[in-house]
Amino acid sequence: MANEFDPELPSNHLIFEVRRDPALYTGFADRMEEVMESYSLSEAERAAWREVDVVALGNLGVHPYFLPQVTRLIHGSAENDSKSMAAQAYKKAFGDQIVAHKKK
Amino acid sequence: MAEIVSVMAMAHAPGVTGWLDSAPEEEKTKIIAGYEEMGRILRATKPDVLVGVANDHMLNLPLRDPPDFCVGTAANWNGPAEFFKSWLAQDGYEVAGRPDVAECLAQAGQSAGLKLDSRDDLLFDDNWSVPLLYLTPDYSIPLVPVHMNCINAPVPTPEESVRAGQVIAQSIKDDLPAGLRVAVFATGGLSHEPGGPKYFTLDEDFDRWFMALLEEGDLDKVCREATVERMNEAGGGGTTELLAWMVAMAVAGGTPARSVFYVGSEELRCGIGGSVWDSIH
Repeated sequence: MANEFDPELPSNHLIFEVRRDPALYTGFADRMEEVMESYSLSEAERAAWREVDVVALGNLGVHPYFLPQVTRLIHGSAENDSKSMAAQAYKKAFGDQIVAHKKK
Repeated sequence: MAEIVSVMAMAHAPGVTGWLDSAPEEEKTKIIAGYEEMGRILRATKPDVLVGVANDHMLNLPLRDPPDFCVGTAANWNGPAEFFKSWLAQDGYEVAGRPDVAECLAQAGQSAGLKLDSRDDLLFDDNWSVPLLYLTPDYSIPLVPVHMNCINAPVPTPEESVRAGQVIAQSIKDDLPAGLRVAVFATGGLSHEPGGPKYFTLDEDFDRWFMALLEEGDLDKVCREATVERMNEAGGGGTTELLAWMVAMAVAGGTPARSVFYVGSEELRCGIGGSVWDSIH
C-alpha cells in the first residue's frame, strides 16, 4: 500500500542514515553484513537484503520509496535506466507483479 | 511589500539529468525544450530569490511524525548530496540561500498554525537538483527550499496544501522587504510509483487530466477531485508530490495555470511536465 511502513524497523533507519553519510554508503555492497549488524537488523531483514528481495523488505515494513534505493545501494546508482542492474534487481524481486507499461 | 513575480510547477524526475540519453530521442528533445522554456519564463521575471516547495524524499524529515513543511534557512546550499551525484549525473553545485526570507516564511507558517519547522542542514536530491539546472543554470538566484512531506502518511491534504500556499503568499506580501522580487516554484510528480508494482509505468491519462484541471483555475475543484487517494492510484509513493503543485497554485491565487509541456516517459519512469501561472492574484 502506498506510503505504509514501520518507522521503527531497523532497515528504514539504515536506509535513511546510510544515504546521508558517504562513510556508510561507500562500498556498501562489500560491507553490507557489517552495516546490517550495526543496525541490529532482524534475520528476516538480513535475508531479504542478501537476496535484494525488495518485496520481502516492503512486507517487513520498509517504506515503498526506499525499495528502489535498496537496489541502488547494492548495485550502484549511475545510469539507473530500465536496463541497469538496480532496475533489473527490482524487476526480479517483484516478478509477475510488475505492471508493464502500455505505450500511448 | 515584496512582489510574487512568478509561480510555476514542474517535475523533478531523476532521469531528466541522470539517464536522459536512454529515453527515445523525441522524448529527450521535448523534455529539454520544456525545461528550457520553464527556465526562460522564470528568468524573464528577474526574480531576486526563489522560494521552492518540493517533496522531501525521506532524506531529511524524521521517519516518525515529520512536519508537513520544513523551511531551509542556510545561507548557502550544496547539492546534490553525495549519494545522489552519480544517480543524477551531476558533479555538484552551490547556490546561495536567503536566511532572512526563510526566517520570515518560517515564522509566518508557524504563526498560522502550519505543522512546520526550519533547519539549515537539508540535503538536496532530485527535488531541487533537476529543476535548478534549468531554472538558474548559473545558480545565481538564491534559493529558499521548503521541503514538504508528501510521502510519509499522513501527508497534508489538498486543502492544507492550499492553505500553506496562501500563508506563503501572504507572508511574501506582508513580511518580506519592499521591492523584493520573489519567484515561487513547486517541483515533483507527475505520476510515478517509486516502490510498487507500477515502478516501470506511469499514468498519462491522470497526468493530462491533472494539468487540465489546473488550467480551470478552480482551487476547490482541484481539492475535491485531486485527492491523495486518486494520486496514489496513479502511482503510489510518488504522485502525491503533486501536493506541492497545489501549494504553488494557491500562491498564485488559484488563477488558471498554463501547461507548458508534458511527456509521459517510460524510460524515465515518470510523467514529466511543467505548468506556469501567468496571472498572480
